Amino acid sequence: MKIWPTISGILAVTALSGCVTATVEQIRETATSMGEGDSIVVLGRRNRPSQAEAELDFIDCVSRKVAGGGNGVQVISEQEFVDAMFPWFEPRTAPLNTNELPELLQQPILAQRLREIGLKYLIWLEGSTQQTAQAGSMSCSISPGGGGCFGFLTWEKDSSYEASVWDAHTARTAGRVSSDAAGTSYMPAIVVPIPIIARVQNSACSSLADQLKQFVQNDA
Amino acid sequence: MVRVTAPVLVSLVLLGGCAGTAHLEIETSRFPVPVMQKAPVRLGIHLDDTLTSYIHKETIEKKGDFEVAVGPAQKDLFNNLAMGVFEGYEFVSENRAPHLDGVLKPNIAELQFSLPSQTRSDYYEIWIRYQFQLFDREGNLIGNWTLPAYGKASQKDHGSKSTGLEEAALAACRDAMAFFSINFTRETMVSQWLAAGKPLVPPQPAAPAAQTAAAAAPAAAPAAATPATPDPAAPSTVGEDSGGDTSPDPTNVLNNENIAADAATGAT
Repeated sequence: MKIWPTISGILAVTALSGCVTATVEQIRETATSMGEGDSIVVLGRRNRPSQAEAELDFIDCVSRKVAGGGNGVQVISEQEFVDAMFPWFEPRTAPLNTNELPELLQQPILAQRLREIGLKYLIWLEGSTQQTAQAGSMSCSISPGGGGCFGFLTWEKDSSYEASVWDAHTARTAGRVSSDAAGTSYMPAIVVPIPIIARVQNSACSSLADQLKQFVQNDA
Repeated sequence: MVRVTAPVLVSLVLLGGCAGTAHLEIETSRFPVPVMQKAPVRLGIHLDDTLTSYIHKETIEKKGDFEVAVGPAQKDLFNNLAMGVFEGYEFVSENRAPHLDGVLKPNIAELQFSLPSQTRSDYYEIWIRYQFQLFDREGNLIGNWTLPAYGKASQKDHGSKSTGLEEAALAACRDAMAFFSINFTRETMVSQWLAAGKPLVPPQPAAPAAQTAAAAAPAAAPAAATPATPDPAAPSTVGEDSGGDTSPDPTNVLNNENIAADAATGAT
């Protein structure tokens, strides 16, 4: 019978993807372009404890996706960059706005280091993914005859991130890209729990990375 | 009747294992060399055993015992720091180095940490208060100053207490390096000493051991406008970790407000 592979396939697909809605917005302030040997870096804002501090894995995800694909751009990892520019991009010393960049770049040794790594754009990332609601219940039991779960759980997650793009050559803000995603995950259980996960953060990462890639290459 | 099966046993063992001693050490390979114009000074760096063996021990109710060993990382920290900040340096075993311009002696006066469950935040946080003493090449105290450092790590990024606190400790050490690098030549006493050609300062009169350091700072300071910082050698309620006492300390300058204020003055 061909029905079982079909049902298995449907279950596999639904287990991988719940419903997620994502929106991306962009504000451009100056023209952008990427030349031969130019690179970008994606940095998380960490100047003080905040709920809006982007997760390390999200920053890593955005960096990987901006670097990947057919029109990928060269990306320096966050750790590599802050080590190469130490101590100027530590949480307490990093510039808070583009007005502070010229003073930094006036230092010949720093300007030289930036030229060596070919940095064209600095992308500051802020935001987070939060669980906003949860409902339902599930109980599991074990008995001599076996075990199982029964119930229904649902939860919502909301991702909201904003990337501010600084031009390291002109020391001006090139623009901003924001990505919001929301989704509801479900877990019905009749003996076996079946998770239907909405990959909210991953969706926010993909949409933000795609838009950033276009933004710095001025393809928008 | 419910049987206690293997998975349940494993879970109980895991739950029971949460209250042990967590020993945390810093990954020293992650101290970068500062990229900056070097200060025109050749300094000896005196790291004594009090610093290099510094371990903060604390017991937190229901969370277990913690040992934060930041001392063993200090040699690497100051080696990389000095490589980027000073024109020349070497490690010395006393406060006197006639073949150099002077001697820098760092010390950790205090360390505090907090877990996310204590602060109801997402962060493991560590505060370290460094004390620095600067001596001329004959071992006479020029002055001293305090440097508060702060590091944090999100529990979203670090699943266990150990890795979270280790990352926070590393961040605090990097913060100390960063702030020292940028502000060393801005310290009034240091800048005046450098501008004067790194002279010898008058030796201090001999005094009983317990009072020597307490007397030295104000006596050495008149020409150098030494900042009003507590003397590291003076008896202090915060110098040695007692373990388990998490009550607020009125002398504590290590809080977020101060860090934010420092950030405002320290950024570039």
